[in-house]
Amino acid sequence: MSNSSAGIIGVGMYAPEKIMTNADLAGMINTTEEWIESVSGIRERHIAAPSQAASDLGAVAAQRALARAGVSPDEVDLIIVSTVTPDMQFPSTACIIQERLGIKNIPAFDLTAVCSGFVYALTVGAQFISNEFYRTVLVIGTEVVSSVTNWTDRDTSMLIGDGAGAVVLRQAPPGYGVLSAKLGADGSGASFMMTPAGGSRMPVTSEVIEKKMNKMQMNGPEVFKFAMKMLPEVTEQALELANLHTKDLKLIVPHQANRRIIEAAARRMELPMEKFMVNVEKYGNTSSATIPIALFEALETGRIESGDVIALTGFGGGLAWGSVIMRWI
Amino acid sequence: MANKKNNAGIVGIGVCLPEKVLTNAELAQIVDTNDEWIQERTGIKERRIADASQAASDLGVIAAQRALENACVSADEIDLIIVATATADMQFPSTACIIQERLGMKNTPAFDVTAGCTGFIYALTIGNQFIANGFYRTVLVIGTEVLSKVTNWTDRETCILLADGAGAVVLRPTTPGCGILSMKIGADGSGGKYLLLPAGGSRMPVTPELIEANQNKLHMDGPEVFKFAMMMLPEVTEQALALANLRKEDIDLIVPHQANIRIIEAAARRLDLSMEKFMVNLDRYGNSSSASIPIAMHEALETGRIKSGDVVVLTGFGAGLTWGSIVMRWI
Repeated sequence: MSNSSAGIIGVGMYAPEKIMTNADLAGMINTTEEWIESVSGIRERHIAAPSQAASDLGAVAAQRALARAGVSPDEVDLIIVSTVTPDMQFPSTACIIQERLGIKNIPAFDLTAVCSGFVYALTVGAQFISNEFYRTVLVIGTEVVSSVTNWTDRDTSMLIGDGAGAVVLRQAPPGYGVLSAKLGADGSGASFMMTPAGGSRMPVTSEVIEKKMNKMQMNGPEVFKFAMKMLPEVTEQALELANLHTKDLKLIVPHQANRRIIEAAARRMELPMEKFMVNVEKYGNTSSATIPIALFEALETGRIESGDVIALTGFGGGLAWGSVIMRWI
Repeated sequence: MANKKNNAGIVGIGVCLPEKVLTNAELAQIVDTNDEWIQERTGIKERRIADASQAASDLGVIAAQRALENACVSADEIDLIIVATATADMQFPSTACIIQERLGMKNTPAFDVTAGCTGFIYALTIGNQFIANGFYRTVLVIGTEVLSKVTNWTDRETCILLADGAGAVVLRPTTPGCGILSMKIGADGSGGKYLLLPAGGSRMPVTPELIEANQNKLHMDGPEVFKFAMMMLPEVTEQALALANLRKEDIDLIVPHQANIRIIEAAARRLDLSMEKFMVNLDRYGNSSSASIPIAMHEALETGRIKSGDVVVLTGFGAGLTWGSIVMRWI
């Protein structure tokens, strides 16, 4: 990458008020609190109200990120929203959030790269900044995964959560901000995690709704195998691009899919679990919102300080993956 | 804005137009309309419609293969795939990932962009960023749409306009002064309600009742969209030209989003340019959203209306509301 790098100058998050515990779930599907926690590390998750769409969560996270950054909405030059649960097929959720932030004319678009969406969106936003095309980019990951959840499918419904996170990007001082980024995808694994119906492949019908074909389907073992391998692999690839080593990392903020995936990655990388930010127990898997939510908590709890080298690593549906190495401003 | 470092240029282009032609006469048998009325209001005579079995990826992969062939670039040289679509195969995974597999590639990053009918311009602007700073060398940008599957075939205001199709371009770094000279993109979410699919997302999850009421189909406030487009097509074109330090007299061809001939005619008047300066093929292909610009650009190249060294402006506008314009000097 070029000399001028993008850095994160503000992070915000929003989790819906309603908390669904494992006990609540155990009352709905054939499972127990202990089983969910033992296979996923998740204890509870936040679930959006029926009236809340992706833009509602995303707008609050964005406002909070802007407030933290001390940036007013009218200083934003571009809004990128990563979501797999947009308000509508079109217009973009980014445009809806733009209006909610009270701004006009600045470009806004949605990006689909599923659970790696935030890392993809961050990488895209960083290009606009390093080219000095824009000065301030707002990157939002927002998801109402509950809206595509089959609540009779124990294997997926216990994993998901709703939430949003946002970051404000600006040019970082030399040596700080994004040091490297590595993205990848493999469409041959597309069927491992998908919503089969509802798009141009299988338009939605009453029968399709009845069969819950417009809800998320997951091949758990395949996704687990992929994630366990890819989380370490892409993190190491990104580190190499930055001429750094795993020992240089202060903290890895991985996509919060499942505690077991993170534990397996820690073993492969020969790193203690202390090097990984984990808050999946409180929020579950909120797809493209997990990384900014975990990043926010890591900052709040003092686990990231100025000068620290951190990795943000995503993996998920697509299959897609990505890792961004940053030196915190 | 203009590039400060490398410029990206289009080194190959391809399209996919579904075989099935739907004429105005055939539409007149479905809804209360007639050929003259449609032609007078829109300029459209016929449009292409995908087979029931075809999704956005099916059209997009053919356009992509043709663009790669045209560019003499092999699939494994691609560093990034960006797909602009408002009619993705599925909510997830991305249509870009599905196309990646169909092109026989692995590991290449791939994502979808949603920016309504301006999607292709947005995707091109994003692709340009990666090339401008040397992050990637070869970027494949695809616009693909199966709008027929989000069309309310009982709404004569919209069903006469919509079409299916795909177009793709290959971007590579080019010599200074060539390729993309400037880009301007924008949006105004307060007009989101003028062109939307109310149900089917997290705002209004789809139910059998909503399907019955066609709430998961395209809704449009025609007069508002027309007013916006008529104003924005000239405005953003002029903004992008100014960023490239060019004037409208320097333009060899404008390739606008093919929404409606009346919008293009109104823009020509406002810009005080003759209609010969505008590429128009909506008479045969209708409005294929993010596919219309690459489809029109392909035809302009095929018919010799764009030559090396020409100043070409691509301008999109649509749902969001979004808009964007790219000024290029053709390689």
